[in-house]
Amino acid sequence: MDLTVQIGRSELYNPLGVASGTFGYGSEYEKLIDLNRIGALYTKAVTPEPRPGNEIPRIVETPSGMLNSIGLANVGLQRFISDKLPFLKSVPSAVIVNVAGSEERDYFTVVETLAAEDAIWGWEINLSCPNVKCGGLALGTDPEQVRMLTASLRRLTEKPVIVKLTPNVTDITTIARAAEDGGADAVSCINTLVGMLIDTDRQRTVLPGATGGLSGPAVLPVGLAAVYRVSRAVRIPVIGVGGILEPDHALQYLLAGAAAIQIGTANFIDPSIHQRVLEAIEQYAAQHEVRSIAEFGRLLR
Amino acid sequence: MPAMARYLTAVLQNRPIAEDFYELQFNWPSQAPAPKPGQFLTIRTSQSSVPLLRRPFAFSRYDHEDGSARIIYKVRGAATAQLAGKRPFDAVDVLAPLGKPFPLPDSETRPILVAGGIGIGPILFLARALHAHSPALRLIVGARTAAGLPSQLSGEYGEVIACTDDGSFGHSGTVIDALRSYLSTTTLSTNSGESVLYLCGPEPMLAGGHRLALECGITAYVAVEQTMGCAVGACMGCAVRVLGPERYARACTEGPVFDSRLIDWRE
Repeated sequence: MDLTVQIGRSELYNPLGVASGTFGYGSEYEKLIDLNRIGALYTKAVTPEPRPGNEIPRIVETPSGMLNSIGLANVGLQRFISDKLPFLKSVPSAVIVNVAGSEERDYFTVVETLAAEDAIWGWEINLSCPNVKCGGLALGTDPEQVRMLTASLRRLTEKPVIVKLTPNVTDITTIARAAEDGGADAVSCINTLVGMLIDTDRQRTVLPGATGGLSGPAVLPVGLAAVYRVSRAVRIPVIGVGGILEPDHALQYLLAGAAAIQIGTANFIDPSIHQRVLEAIEQYAAQHEVRSIAEFGRLLR
Repeated sequence: MPAMARYLTAVLQNRPIAEDFYELQFNWPSQAPAPKPGQFLTIRTSQSSVPLLRRPFAFSRYDHEDGSARIIYKVRGAATAQLAGKRPFDAVDVLAPLGKPFPLPDSETRPILVAGGIGIGPILFLARALHAHSPALRLIVGARTAAGLPSQLSGEYGEVIACTDDGSFGHSGTVIDALRSYLSTTTLSTNSGESVLYLCGPEPMLAGGHRLALECGITAYVAVEQTMGCAVGACMGCAVRVLGPERYARACTEGPVFDSRLIDWRE
């Protein structure tokens, strides 16, 4: 079958991506995972300045999931170029830089500075991080701001622009349409859900900042519903992400209407997941006489 | 970076060694690099999504001859309860070896090893590795009560100073109390610059060891514990507060062993 995925004027050699924030800058997993299997590598968020990240602890397990409050800890634009890009130039996967910031100008700075780098395939615009005080989620919940920011970034780059959507809104399709109107080539949904745990012995929230972002299999149904609704509301490709731990979860996303998928939390748990997902896609396609990834969505009755 | 990989291996033995403490011994794959004291592995204890994340455990022993490795763990949640249920020949899904090992002392330096509670695993591994080369090695081990101390401690590692919080065995008090009195007697007769501390245990104990090392002008290496996500340096989840502009370091890759002077010990 044909595993390629068309996004904007560019192509991914397979539909399997690794989600931003769970795969570092790629080199961390070089020894553990065959990157030839990864169609798209979404980098840890890049902001103009380095960010130390949030107070500790930053991670806690929840029923079938985990909460994180990393706070976009990253090396910043300059060290991304000097320390991380050289390795990324050598990976076979499409390198998609996850762009983040605390204000609109930060997004422009990152994209403008990196625009000429051949090693970068495209951008995932992080308008939905729940763990930063300004920017992030606040930007991503207002359709008009999403449209304007997407349109401004669209003017800065020829490369595919993917807007990452938050599920922390009343109607995710409104935000998806705003991104499409702004000229986005695709949307990825979903980012993490705002969540919290409380330590009853200490009578404190487990995370020092009270809330964090929920990921893992617990959010799978939320992601599926978002992809199902968004793929019926926009004409651009929808990239499904959220809670994939087993190959069947990935197939569910493709049937819901996803043009591609991202593995996130499962990267921490099962280094064999990528190979198993690809095999399951090919096997399912053979069984159901599907010739391309785009045809999966038509199977859903 | 030491090469690490995921291995599906098998349990050889899983037995209680003290109150609430178990030792898991498993086959060490011949193609895997030998683990070093201070390094750790992660184990996926369940094939379902509960518990979800792999759990980190420090190596407590490695035997090249019979190709086995061990960890010492305490049952304190769902994942460790599942681990305690493993029987010989059961499969274990490990990611290893991970992290930086303890830097070894030169032949002139006297190592003083201090373990509190569950910190005993990596300290025993280090003691075993150093014993042949450092006859002057001292091992200080503490638990809340006598029942919390593993049996078979003495003999194998030279002179062991045991302490219990309730005084039910050995010295009454914490390992830091015992370390203080040990250092005060030895520093009278020898140059204290020749000693180096290795500590693993609860954070207040590590902080106490750090302060003592500063007072005596000696180096202390601490092995820290933190909740982990990926354990390979990608997720920034297992951050530890350090001094300097970066403010945080990753326990999984920059650690878990740190020179105590690099850590920001504020509460």
